Amino acid sequence: MRTLILFLLKFRTLFLFLGLELLSFLLIVNNNQFQRNRFLSSSNRIVGTVYNLSDKVNRYFNLNEVNESLAQENEALNTELAQLREQLAFYRQDTSYMGRKQTSVEKNYSFMTAKVIYFSTVRQKNTFTINKGEADGVKRGMGVISPKGVVGIVSNTSGHFSSVMPIVSTASGGISATVKGKTQLGKLTWKGSNLRYAQLEEVPLYIPVVLGDTIVTSGYSDVFPEGYPIGTIDKFSKRNDDFYDIQVELAVDFDKLSYVDVIEFKNFEEREALVEKTEK
Amino acid sequence: MIDVTIKRILSFVVLVLVQILLLNNIKFLGFITPYLYIYFILSLPSSVSKEMTLVWGFLLGLTIDIFCGSLGCNALATTLIAYIKPYFQSFFGPKDDYDEVKPSTATFGFEMYLQYIAFLTIIHHLVFFFIEAFTLSQFWSVLFRAICCTIFTILVILSLQYFKHRRR
Repeated sequence: MRTLILFLLKFRTLFLFLGLELLSFLLIVNNNQFQRNRFLSSSNRIVGTVYNLSDKVNRYFNLNEVNESLAQENEALNTELAQLREQLAFYRQDTSYMGRKQTSVEKNYSFMTAKVIYFSTVRQKNTFTINKGEADGVKRGMGVISPKGVVGIVSNTSGHFSSVMPIVSTASGGISATVKGKTQLGKLTWKGSNLRYAQLEEVPLYIPVVLGDTIVTSGYSDVFPEGYPIGTIDKFSKRNDDFYDIQVELAVDFDKLSYVDVIEFKNFEEREALVEKTEK
Repeated sequence: MIDVTIKRILSFVVLVLVQILLLNNIKFLGFITPYLYIYFILSLPSSVSKEMTLVWGFLLGLTIDIFCGSLGCNALATTLIAYIKPYFQSFFGPKDDYDEVKPSTATFGFEMYLQYIAFLTIIHHLVFFFIEAFTLSQFWSVLFRAICCTIFTILVILSLQYFKHRRR
C-alpha cells in the first residue's frame, strides 16, 4: 500500500495529466454529437471488423459441412422440381385427365405417363423413345396416346426405356380406325410425307362422311380404348367404286410431342396369350 | 502570494474574455483565428508546480470550451501543453537562473522564446484541430489550417511581448 502511494505520488503529475486528458476526452465524446458519432462509429467499425474476421475464419472450417448440406438440399430440390414439372406438364396438357381416369377404371385399363426423350421425325420409319420401360410395366404392343389423340404402339422395350412406333411411320402396320358414330372399320396408314396427315383406307362408300368428321379408334382393338380420337377428315375422295380415300388431319402434332401416356390394360398378357393361341 | 494569485486569476479572466469576445470573431482569410488564450499557460512562471500548471491548463481550456460550445477540445489540447510546458521551459529557458523565471523575450532571449512558443503553440493547435475534426480523412486541410493559425497566434503573442517591453 505504501509503495503504491509512493508510486502514485512519484508520478502524480503524469496521473493528473492523464486523468485530465481522459476527462477532456469524455467531455468531448459525451457533449459533442459529431465527435460522439464518429467515436462510436469507429469503435463499431473495429468491433465489426473483428467479428467479420472471426466469421470468415469460421466459414472456412464449416465449408465441408455446408457443401454437404447444400448438395443434399440441391438433390432433394431437383427431385421435387422434376416431379412437379412432370405433373405440371401433365395437367396442363390434359384437361380431361379426371375424365379419363374415370374411364380407365371402368374400362379396366390405366395410363402411365411417360416423357418423350427422343423423337426422330426426319426419316420415313419414324420412331421415338420414352422414359418408361419394363421396370415400369411397359410391354411390347401397348398403345401410346397423348391427351389429344392416338400416338402409336410400343415396339420395343428395355429396362427403363421403350421405343414407340408412331402412327406416322411407314414401318407401322396401320391401326384400325373408324368414323365417329359408325362401326365400319378402316385402316389408318401413313404414306410418309407430312406429319400432320395420314390416310384412312377401306372405308366403304355407303357410309356418309362429311369434312371435319372425327376419326376415332375402333372398339375391336386391344391396344387403344374405344373411340379415342385420331384426327379429323381433311378431305376425301372416291378411290374406286367401293372405298373412300380419306385424308385425316391428325389430332396429335408430332413435332410438339413431349408427354405421352402408355395404356396399360389389366389383362394385357392374358389377352395376348389368347390371341397367340387362337392364331396358331 | 495572494497578490500573485489574484493577478493570475485576473489575467486568466482577461485572456478568456479577449479570446471569446474579440479573437474568436476574427476570421482572417475566412478561417484563421489566433488562439491567444494559451499565452496564459506559456507565461506561467517556473515557480508554479507542474500539477498546478495542469490544473490551470485544464480550467483554461474548459472555460474556453464552455464559451465556444466545443466542450473538451480546448481542454484536452491545453492540458497537453500544460503538461509539457515545464519541460520546454527548462529546455529553452535560462539554465543558470534559480530564481523564478517568467517566460518572455526578456528572460529567454528572442530566439529561444520564439522557439519555445512556436513548439508549444503548434502542438496545441495540431491537437486541437485534429480533435475538432476527429478524422484523418481531411488530413492536409486540417494540417494547413493548424499551421496558418499557429503562425497567426505566434505573431499575436510576439506583438503582445513587443508592446509589453516597449511600455517598460
